[in-house]
Amino acid sequence: MTLAVLFPLIMAAVCALLARQLGRRTGYLAALGFLPALLLAVPLAGNSVEVGGTPFNQVTGWVPELGLNFAFRGDGFSLLFAVLIGVIGALASLYSVAYLSERERFGRFYPYLLLFGGSMLGLVLSDNMIALFAFWEMTSVTSFLLIGLWHTRSEARDGAIKAFLVSALGGLGLLAAVALLSVAGGSTTLSGLDLEAVRASPMFIPALLLTLLAAFTKSAQLPFHLWLPTAMEAPTPVSAFLHSATMVKAGVVLVAKFGLIFGTSALWGGIIVPLGLATMFWGSWRALKQTDLKALLAFSTVSQLGLLMALYGLADAEGRFAATTHLLNHAAFKAALFFVVGIIDHETGTRETFRLSGLRRKLPLTFAVALLATLSMAGLPPLGGFISKELFYEAMIHAGPGFIAVSVIGSAFTLAYCARLIGIFFGDFRAPEDDTGQPLKPHIHEAGLGLLLPPALLAGAALLFGILPSSAEWLTRRAGAALNFAGYEGHLYLWHGVTPALLLTLLTWGLAALLVWQAARVYFLQVHVEFPLSSNRIYRGLLRGLETLASRVIAGTQGLALPDQLRITLAAAGLMGGYAVWRAPQVFQPLEAVPLSTLPIAVLLVAGALGVLLSRNRLTAVVLTGLTGFGSAVAFLAMRAPDLALTQLLIEAVTVILFLLVFRSLPGFRSLPRGRVRGVIDVVLAGSAGIGATLLVLASIRFLSPPISPYYLENAYKEGGGKNVVNVILVDFRGWDTLGEIMVVAMVALAVGSLVRLGRRGQARSEKDTAPASQDLLDLQKRQS
Amino acid sequence: METLFAVLIGLLVAAGVFLMLSRTIIRVVLGLAFIAYGVNLAILTVSGLRQESPPLLTLEGPYVDPLPQALVLTAIVIGFGTTALLLTVALRAYQVAGHDDVAAFGDNLARNPDAPDGQHADPEHLSPDTPETDHTDETEIQMAELERLRRITR
Repeated sequence: MTLAVLFPLIMAAVCALLARQLGRRTGYLAALGFLPALLLAVPLAGNSVEVGGTPFNQVTGWVPELGLNFAFRGDGFSLLFAVLIGVIGALASLYSVAYLSERERFGRFYPYLLLFGGSMLGLVLSDNMIALFAFWEMTSVTSFLLIGLWHTRSEARDGAIKAFLVSALGGLGLLAAVALLSVAGGSTTLSGLDLEAVRASPMFIPALLLTLLAAFTKSAQLPFHLWLPTAMEAPTPVSAFLHSATMVKAGVVLVAKFGLIFGTSALWGGIIVPLGLATMFWGSWRALKQTDLKALLAFSTVSQLGLLMALYGLADAEGRFAATTHLLNHAAFKAALFFVVGIIDHETGTRETFRLSGLRRKLPLTFAVALLATLSMAGLPPLGGFISKELFYEAMIHAGPGFIAVSVIGSAFTLAYCARLIGIFFGDFRAPEDDTGQPLKPHIHEAGLGLLLPPALLAGAALLFGILPSSAEWLTRRAGAALNFAGYEGHLYLWHGVTPALLLTLLTWGLAALLVWQAARVYFLQVHVEFPLSSNRIYRGLLRGLETLASRVIAGTQGLALPDQLRITLAAAGLMGGYAVWRAPQVFQPLEAVPLSTLPIAVLLVAGALGVLLSRNRLTAVVLTGLTGFGSAVAFLAMRAPDLALTQLLIEAVTVILFLLVFRSLPGFRSLPRGRVRGVIDVVLAGSAGIGATLLVLASIRFLSPPISPYYLENAYKEGGGKNVVNVILVDFRGWDTLGEIMVVAMVALAVGSLVRLGRRGQARSEKDTAPASQDLLDLQKRQS
Repeated sequence: METLFAVLIGLLVAAGVFLMLSRTIIRVVLGLAFIAYGVNLAILTVSGLRQESPPLLTLEGPYVDPLPQALVLTAIVIGFGTTALLLTVALRAYQVAGHDDVAAFGDNLARNPDAPDGQHADPEHLSPDTPETDHTDETEIQMAELERLRRITR
């Protein structure tokens, strides 16, 4: 499993290196990268993860001290999903070999695709929650790269940024949730969590809500669905990969897996099921409105994800069984449909439904594939989609009448947009034209094998799941032990008698027929009904608000005079330090006896400090500073550090000389008032800094670990050949430090020299970076508007 | 003894911070020097103050911890370097701005040469960014624009 996750990442590097030589054939290498993931099907098919069987684990240490490991856990569900990712990833790579144009930058496309696939595999297989979070963020970053692949187009940039911002928001939620869970449950692995402790903990509800935030942002649930439709700016093979099997399903995986932790809470299902159904309805309503085939599919994904979420959100065996079945079906038909749309786009040059008609005459094979996949998406027999739709109704009947109504109406819309999708194949053939009436492509002919095979395989799977339900059931049952529905009795049949679910299906068909019959009116209604509160508008408003806030903060805090700037910084540091002191355990010892000899030192130090504060004459101030300096030299002596005392004395003398030199060209001290409020603030700041320093010193007089100094004492003479240990440390053991110190002094000398010379000459001319500050603000303003 | 030194260090740091917050540029430099004194003493203090021999192998053991001493030795020299650099910067700032009030240094040091203390200390060595007389109109327009923008952004 570790190999399955790592191999795509390694192959990404290989592809990046070889892309220049191989060109489009890099895609075969990329498909190879998913091979280990496909091989996971072997343990999946074997008995090791059979119903009730034990999952197999692989742990690779990362930072074991912190509970950070790459712990991969191959339970039935994870393996099933990993194989799904492998299949669709490999197919997408093969498909893109034929799909992409010769001028595409393969050196970016395939590595991104592989990186994404690898992080997705890591995400589903990871048992360690922190690694899971890391993979989660990796999928966000790599999908950002994939969506923005054609970064010269502003829509692609916008879509990529939107997808990243939304899913990164959820990622932060996940990080917090993972932290809360691992603290409450006493383990960083999902399987090692103490569920009783988690459920009893007060962090249960916050962790639940944060997990939901993560899942909803990633899986494009209301109101976070805004990023998914714009993510279709990615190349079509990427869309197929992102929308069918992976990125968007990450949230579903999260809900499925964490449902085992949170499922007992009424809040879990109480939030997910209504939101999921609302998303399903809203997605299918919006999908019906689209004229771009890819946009239609994108909204359809939103809708189907809502359905999956709602099913997993039920957190019972029936819901999980239905959801896992539909997960498989959805992956098969949605990826196939994206590939089909890619073919249509590739062959005809457009994806607009109103430009296309009668395509079955020119693209018969594509039509066959599209028909199978669309029927499955519409939930019509005898395809896999029908079976999972029945299961969905079955589950919703147990949830309540309101839920049934929403799901029936949503499914009717689904049928309607499926009809619209397949409609482009019927009717008389018209060569697609652009706005000026010129045909887009001179000759339209059937796609090649490279484009047709991947969707055909997937559509075949959809058909297989329908006519041979036991195959889908066999696959679904693999996840039974991992998702706690091993004991569930239900089975998959095409015909299971006249049940309430079947009646609901008939009702859906009736409604859908009505919608198709009145398609023109429905479309008119859709175009004219506009909701004022669209999440895209909120997103833009938020972005703009953030920008304004940022520029106000900058205007308010930057460009202040030095003391004000310092006050802000010190106050912030003081608040944080104060909090630390307040929370820290009390470790201070009582006052011990003070030897009389240290009292003169104390007097020297304090006298110097107080004297400078009170002095009104710069010479006095410097001399008094020197007093403190000599005081600390004496203190060094008392602390048994003769070298330090000597150095301090020398430096003190040089410093005083330096000051005297400078004073020649500086004015005398003036007392500049601070103002009453600022004076008080300064006293408070200085006082708290002093108290903080005292407390810090007192708190630090304990060894956190055994001192390393005995080593130096022992080896100073043996290895350094010197008897003054401090000197040996400086020149031998820590010679690099000393070299760095010499560099610092040399640089200071250079800087001082040039600054002084600059002042002498007085010829310096005005430069660009000293332009008035108003220019900056002007620029800022221009960028905002 | 450690407690006494902890209090002394606190006093030094407090004095240093208070000086750093004042408006006269030399006081700022001195403030930094005081903080450096405090920190140097602190490094030695936290390693524990014991009445043992200095780490000279010619003497009888046991010895005090030599490592903090080595660190502080470096710190003293670097502290001196910082002070020297700051002093020159202070000198230069004074030459450019014509006054030593750090609170009146803007982004542009010599923005307001007509302030009460805006006399150039060194009239021969004018600052590189002192607005020259024939540019005053332009500057006034820019200042007005700046004010307008400030009002908008607040």
